[in-house]
Amino acid sequence: MKTKLLHLLLLFATTAFWSCNDQCKETRVTRRFSNVTRSLMELRTQVKSEAPRALERPGKMYIKGSYLFVNEIKEGIHVIDNSNPSSPKFVSFIKIPGNGDIAVRDNILYADSFSDLVALDIADPTKPKEVERIKNVFKFGLFDGGSWSLNESVGAINDQNVEYVTETVTVNCEENISPNFWWGGAWALADRAFLSSSASSASPQSSGGSSGQAGSMARFALHHNFLYTVGQNDLHLFNIATPSKPVDFATVNVGWGIETIFPYENKLFIGSSTGMFIYDNSNPAAPKQLSTFQHGRACDPVVVQGDIAYVTLRTGTACAGTQNQLDLVDVSNPAAPQLIKSYQMQNPHGLSIDFPTLYLCEGENGLKVFDVKDKFAIDQHLLAHFKNMDAYDVISLGKTLLLIGKDGFYQYDSSNPLDLKLLSKIPVGKTTI
Amino acid sequence: MLLMTNVLRAQDPFVKHYVNHTEFGGLFGRVKYPNLYNGNQEQVDNRLSMTIQTFNGVQLTRRLSTGVTIGMDWYKAALLNPVAAGLRYDLTKKGNVKIYGTADIGYAFAWFHDDAEGFNTKGGLMVNPGIGMRIGKPGATAVTLAFTYKRQEADIDKPPLWDQTERSEERVYNRLAIRLGISF
Repeated sequence: MKTKLLHLLLLFATTAFWSCNDQCKETRVTRRFSNVTRSLMELRTQVKSEAPRALERPGKMYIKGSYLFVNEIKEGIHVIDNSNPSSPKFVSFIKIPGNGDIAVRDNILYADSFSDLVALDIADPTKPKEVERIKNVFKFGLFDGGSWSLNESVGAINDQNVEYVTETVTVNCEENISPNFWWGGAWALADRAFLSSSASSASPQSSGGSSGQAGSMARFALHHNFLYTVGQNDLHLFNIATPSKPVDFATVNVGWGIETIFPYENKLFIGSSTGMFIYDNSNPAAPKQLSTFQHGRACDPVVVQGDIAYVTLRTGTACAGTQNQLDLVDVSNPAAPQLIKSYQMQNPHGLSIDFPTLYLCEGENGLKVFDVKDKFAIDQHLLAHFKNMDAYDVISLGKTLLLIGKDGFYQYDSSNPLDLKLLSKIPVGKTTI
Repeated sequence: MLLMTNVLRAQDPFVKHYVNHTEFGGLFGRVKYPNLYNGNQEQVDNRLSMTIQTFNGVQLTRRLSTGVTIGMDWYKAALLNPVAAGLRYDLTKKGNVKIYGTADIGYAFAWFHDDAEGFNTKGGLMVNPGIGMRIGKPGATAVTLAFTYKRQEADIDKPPLWDQTERSEERVYNRLAIRLGISF
């Protein structure tokens, strides 16, 4: 009797559970692109000043004097009065279709608008006025992974709108280390410049005239009488001897997958998805390539201080990289940059150096503050790690630290790097603080 | 004399005491999924993972013991450590072969799991009910064989692919666990 019962029970258990299936659902948020054609004739009438509006998808930051310019990806520029960092005020919104980058010389703001370079007079920041436009200088570009290209023959921009789609698929419950989707190519790689912005206090952006401060992620840079812009594979020079009258000057072919430009002393550090190019800029009208520092495929913001370039590589969206690290590169001989040391990081994004303090954004993992005096032991000199924030990019202005994350724009009092004090926060989606 | 001691023993009042039940075995299951590399043709794979666990507790009554079960499960893509409240209950009374019910409910941690770059594995809820048989004299060390259903959840953050901004996986392991063990 008992054995029968036992058999019965075991039989039941085995048959009931024998068909057990593992259930694994992967949720992905994927970009979807739809093609649209925009008329240049119409786009060129759309640059205007509007009432202030809320941050939605903030892009790059740019600082000039007490004003802060925050790009709204592909839409325009928020002008923010930051004379009191504890309570920044939205002043106006400059609508510029297809805008991603900003540079300011004196009272003139340069911005890209798809294929055109637009110069705006911002002497009265509440009422910026378009003063000059150089047409058809940029041939193609990227916003948030979606590309656009100029069709000169019909005067149109072939653009892609980007949508984010959430999909759930059944997977096999194993870590599929995905094959490297290298065919994403330059298009996918270079968009990071538009996904993030960062800056460095170590960036003497110009000499002659007064310019603002951009970041290591910027594609625009000012130096002497020139505005440098990097496209996907070239470097464009504009003569701005008269700031209100920029003149298309020259184009230098650089390479492939160009992402950022960082001017330092008489050199240009150009970040691409495969490495860092160093250009001699002692003759600002004709930059000459000195060397290339090759690294694996990865996203790579660069800042430079003294003889050391700080390069971060990270994996993730559009970067196709496999490393998360901070590289220190000796650039004392710019013709032959040499690796000093690599440090493992979590997911480094923008960075900023205020020697000897290095601010490094780790995305969702917050902000790390390092003392970099000992270049061989930076990892042993982590001064602080602020975890309760999403840090995408950072600009150190000595006593103030500007930080942008997914949820908004922060300003900190950084007079003591060990103890950042929040001065103000502009949350995404709100015009008031 | 021997008979007498046995009789005396049987008449002893029950005393609560420490019990240990340590087992190892396999987690048998399958997975059905569309194969990306074969035109999304559905494919079924068998899965077998190793499991060990130890239950430490108190024999509360002659039939019931409760305690804490900790274990380790080597899934193909996750190494999980369930920590659970456990229960063992004898369904039959007499003889040297007893059938017992077993249940563990708890949470698994990924303490010892080493993630690949960009991945972050977190454990999840675990339930593990079933039946087993214990072979051995009452009160002495016994050998056990258990058949249980094991449901284990896990969450995995994954690095997004080039056209993605987020990627994560919700994983549920549904397995038949067959375990051999000893209890004392």
